Amino acid sequence: MTAGTRTRLPGLVLVSPLLLILLFAFIAPALLMVPLSLREYVPGSGISANWTLANYTSIVTDEYFREVVVRTLVLGFGVTAICLLLGYPLAYFIAHSGPTMRLTLTMLVIFPMLLNLVVRSFGWIALLANRGLINNLLIDVGLIERPIRMMFNLFGLLVGMSHIFLPFMVLMLVPAIQAIPKDVQSAAYTLAASRLRVFWSITLPMSAPGILSGSILVFVLTISALVTPRMLGGPTYKVMATLIYDDFLQTLDWPAGAAMSFALTALTMLVIGVSSRLMKRWGGQA
Amino acid sequence: MPALTLDRLEKRYAEHTAASSVSLSVEDGEFISLLGPSGCGKTTVLRMVAGLIEPTGGRILIDGRDVTRLPTNKRNIGLVFQSYALFPHMTVFENVAFGLRRQGVDGADLKRRVDQALANVRLDGLGDRMPRQLSGGQQQRVAVARSIAPRPSILLFDEPLSNLDASLRDQMQIELKRLQREVGITTLFVTHDQGEAMSMSDRVCVLAHGVVQQFDTPEAIYHRPATGFVASFIGRPNRFKGTVQRAGVQVDGGPWLPAGVGALNGLPEKTAVDAVLRQEDVRFLRADESAGFVLDGRIALRAFVGSRVQYVVAVGGIELIAEAQTNGAHAALDIDAAVRLAVDPQHVYVNAAQPQEAA
Repeated sequence: MTAGTRTRLPGLVLVSPLLLILLFAFIAPALLMVPLSLREYVPGSGISANWTLANYTSIVTDEYFREVVVRTLVLGFGVTAICLLLGYPLAYFIAHSGPTMRLTLTMLVIFPMLLNLVVRSFGWIALLANRGLINNLLIDVGLIERPIRMMFNLFGLLVGMSHIFLPFMVLMLVPAIQAIPKDVQSAAYTLAASRLRVFWSITLPMSAPGILSGSILVFVLTISALVTPRMLGGPTYKVMATLIYDDFLQTLDWPAGAAMSFALTALTMLVIGVSSRLMKRWGGQA
Repeated sequence: MPALTLDRLEKRYAEHTAASSVSLSVEDGEFISLLGPSGCGKTTVLRMVAGLIEPTGGRILIDGRDVTRLPTNKRNIGLVFQSYALFPHMTVFENVAFGLRRQGVDGADLKRRVDQALANVRLDGLGDRMPRQLSGGQQQRVAVARSIAPRPSILLFDEPLSNLDASLRDQMQIELKRLQREVGITTLFVTHDQGEAMSMSDRVCVLAHGVVQQFDTPEAIYHRPATGFVASFIGRPNRFKGTVQRAGVQVDGGPWLPAGVGALNGLPEKTAVDAVLRQEDVRFLRADESAGFVLDGRIALRAFVGSRVQYVVAVGGIELIAEAQTNGAHAALDIDAAVRLAVDPQHVYVNAAQPQEAA
């Protein structure tokens, strides 16, 4: 027995309960969906016995499906980018503040997560609706005559979901920024680097692990989110997650829903794989 | 004009003073060590010179220019950290090139100077490696190359060798000394290791409690310690508590020791004092030899440490450590053997008792 297997064996024992649960509650049902996604769906009569690839090919060929996929990706990247841009300065500030301030700010960041997701999404409806707070205010002030459409479109979803997932980004970034040794930044200063240069060349690339994990987390949460896109997107402005939900529970087109689920999973893994590779090269861990 | 002048430099915190009225003048090309126990303020002084800590008083002049309020990146200094502090996401080449790029050096000139710096620390051809692919000693050399490449006015070392193992440390000491000679950069070297400070420096500045105890050549520091602290910190000291009596020190519960001319510094009789007698200053006498002052003792323990043998000798109620050369006449004394020890009064250093002074 080599040292490697000796040390790995207790680890396997430790994770095995979780492994078993995942196997039966997650992997097996997921695999059962593979044949389902290859069945033909006949409107009116349901799932037929015929095999077909149409459920997959239509995702690429059908213009409507294509639009939903692109919209989901744009939303995923958009929310991730917004969370990163808004979250990094905040995380940087928290990481560099004193213990009391850090605790206070961290609590403030976590606080919105204590509220129910539906409540938070509904809050955005109250703000963004045609007769909502913002439109009413702008009309009363006289800046606009007709309400601006801020819901049931990309804008509404970007705003709502960025708000909801921002804490995750900040919570991932803070420890990564804190982990950068102060000496390394001081070393850059002694080499005549300006503050901006130290940030761009040292701090930012060295926080790459946090940027990567935060971005992956926010991206995955965004493209798989159901409640918020449902509420802020309405019945017509769909993303992949809401489409899958409707396939399974409204139109009962399970094969199409299963195929779309696999497409979503594949997309997620592709994005995570590529971004990890790029980040590691940038952060010097390749 | 001195390359570096510290003028009554001071750093006070709410609870304690890390440096008080530190004044130094360092000549161009000199190698200076700041030596002291941990917490003596040596790193604080170094970081104030680097601009990483803001002094609460005094001035810092580099090449005659007052830099006290200048930010770190405008001081033209090089700093080698104890933790190396390399940029982990950059190649060795880019690490060394970082400071040069800030000076606007690029192209063939940049490559030539990076290669030169890497050659200086004998790391030729490793430019493409990442820092984590190098050993600790190699990483330390990269840190040195990175700090010398932009040709700083002053090179600062913050305990750079304490993370290396002993044999590598000895080797790096010699290499750093040689490199400093070759490059000729004025150097300020912080260390708690007296051997390191003594062997590398032109002059040593001993610090304790944020106060300069002595600033002189290694020889002078060793042979003519200015304060009791220096005497007890440098070399391998026997420390005694006692009182002043008859131009000497009556050790508590032990023998009387003579003190040299001026050693008592005008301390009155019966003053509580700390006395220091270095292990290497105690001399074993042969049977036919005599000396001005002799202690009779008995060997209690023997320890062989390579080039010398250390004996714990019981002398009149106390124990002291004395050394003999391994190849000398007293290398093989037995336990309980009676010995006679010669003590030169000039080697007994006396200082008024300062109970908090634990080196």
